[in-house]
Amino acid sequence: MAADNSRVEKLRKKQINGQSMKRLVEAGMIWLRTNQQTVNALNVFPVPDGDTGTNMVLTMQSAWNEIKDLGHRRVSDMAAAVSKGALMGARGNSGVILSQLWRGFARGVQDKDVMDGATFAKAFAEARDTAYRGVVRPVEGTILTVAREVAEATEAGLKSTQDAIDILEIAVKAADEAVRKTPDLLPLLKQAGVVDSGGKGLFFILEGMLRHVYGESLDTPLMSVQPISAMNLQGALEEVEEGQDYEVIVDFMPADDFDLQKFYNQLEVMGTSIQVGEGEGMYRMHIHVPLEKRYEPIDYVMGLGTITKVAMENLMAQMEDVQKSKASRVAFAPVQPGQIAVVVVSPGAGLSRIFASLGAAATVEGGQTKNPSTQDILNSFENLPTDKIIILPNNKNIVMAANQAKDVTVKQVVVVPSKTVPQGLAAMLSLNPDEELESVAERMTKALIAVKTGEITVAVRNVEIDGVTVKEGQVIALLDGKLVFSTGSVEEGSLGLLEKAEADKHELITLYYGQEMPRAEANRIADVIREKYSDQEVEVQDGGQSHYQFIISVE
Amino acid sequence: MGDEITSLGGIHISPNAVASIVYHATLQSYGVVGLAPRNLADGIVKTITRDPARGITVNYSGETLDIEIHIIVEYGTRINTVAETVANTVRFQVEKALGLKVNTINVHVAGLRVSNTD
Repeated sequence: MAADNSRVEKLRKKQINGQSMKRLVEAGMIWLRTNQQTVNALNVFPVPDGDTGTNMVLTMQSAWNEIKDLGHRRVSDMAAAVSKGALMGARGNSGVILSQLWRGFARGVQDKDVMDGATFAKAFAEARDTAYRGVVRPVEGTILTVAREVAEATEAGLKSTQDAIDILEIAVKAADEAVRKTPDLLPLLKQAGVVDSGGKGLFFILEGMLRHVYGESLDTPLMSVQPISAMNLQGALEEVEEGQDYEVIVDFMPADDFDLQKFYNQLEVMGTSIQVGEGEGMYRMHIHVPLEKRYEPIDYVMGLGTITKVAMENLMAQMEDVQKSKASRVAFAPVQPGQIAVVVVSPGAGLSRIFASLGAAATVEGGQTKNPSTQDILNSFENLPTDKIIILPNNKNIVMAANQAKDVTVKQVVVVPSKTVPQGLAAMLSLNPDEELESVAERMTKALIAVKTGEITVAVRNVEIDGVTVKEGQVIALLDGKLVFSTGSVEEGSLGLLEKAEADKHELITLYYGQEMPRAEANRIADVIREKYSDQEVEVQDGGQSHYQFIISVE
Repeated sequence: MGDEITSLGGIHISPNAVASIVYHATLQSYGVVGLAPRNLADGIVKTITRDPARGITVNYSGETLDIEIHIIVEYGTRINTVAETVANTVRFQVEKALGLKVNTINVHVAGLRVSNTD
């Protein structure tokens, strides 16, 4: 790893006190978070549930929350606070081990004002000992092994150096090597063709600290060289931020002495969203740079080899287009750790937006004809930064999948059994994300019965249900899931349905029109309804659901 | 329990076999430093037991498999997370090994071991 040498030299002269340690912990947390998905993807042991990275990040975040406002100058006080925060927020197996490592670490720096190399190594040793004490049968090839190898390497390293930064370098190197060796120790990993996830997570924390010392970026994931075909240039546009005015792509054939690491580091100085692809002796470099630096990458690459192609695009202009289309994208409610996050199953884009505006944290696409799987539902909330989840299935056929998702996750999940979209929307109104999970869920469940749901769709076959005869192609009306009658037009269907729902005794009628329903037609029918129900409020919303011309709520 | 009739004969899995799987899965779980006998009478001999059948109860009612585990946890860990991990790991290991759905797993934290205080 190349480094900003003057920065490192400056830091070498400084001692690590409480405040420096705080920054190291922060860097470790951020770097782990940046690489969270990498760690999740490795998770096969002890239970392959793909949450190791998330659990470790949440544990580190809890530690960070504990210390972020602290002004302790003594490293021992800061380490004790980190240990406390990690313990309180320990999530999952890897999180518990991580919290024990911090507990041992804190013990290692006890009574110290500053941390020198020897103290650092002692802290690693204590971390190892404490972590190993917490289990009867340590399984080797896991985060424990990595912690042990780090402790051993840093202890040995004390013979040649007393400098804390050197010790950290040794620790990162040892962690890297130990992680690589994990498949040899744990056959399960070898079978799956992965290294240990918890160990890798620990490596990222240590590496993040070292990157902080080196003054390297913590926001972009690890340097990766991929096949040119795999470069995801399209996706990069979505994340364009300030100071990324131009996208520059350069194809080139490097000279013989091409040093990839140096190249990458140099690019990091110029811009962001760096991607490097390789294929058949060719390299493709992709970077986002500010306006004034737009020729810099090209000049730089020119000195490294032969340029074959250059492409430059003005992202700001593109961004405007994106902004325009962004109106159709859904902005979900942000979730803070500890808050309740609501995940809803939504049959249409319009309804997703409405749910999001009411505070939903994520949606899963699905409905009557397309039931999402348990896995789809799990995926929607596994990475939310909280462990309190409420699921609104919004369809009686999806309630079961939602309940299964609840069984397989480690998060606290309550399924509020909404059987229709209007029920789900009614439940959302009772949401307060900062309250107790159980009481909120209870209120939301109570809200379900306050609303009547009508659905207007077209019959796909001849059938007789509940005493109603339906011919293929006829419009049918369902009230709270029950077929109430069939008719020739959507208008008649809607009016008849409202009559059955005793809409005149209610206050609000909302029509969510589907994607097969033109907006003008929806408005026309709404006007007819307004005429008949002059005492009631009638609203029209774009639901975007398929198959159902209207989903109607009466409340 | 777990009886299955194949064309070659029957397969029977005894609750003790299940208990062994539970035992190993539990002791490999981080934060668990031992199993505790499930009642006082068992505990007269020793508090931390090495016998897989102690500290673990396996009930199979023909349809569902219910498991009770009594553990001793290391002081200074987040206890509910440890217990949760035990339940998850045990469920996974038993279901993987036997192909039987586990109905409930109750983890009882019978005590803490203090190996050092800070």
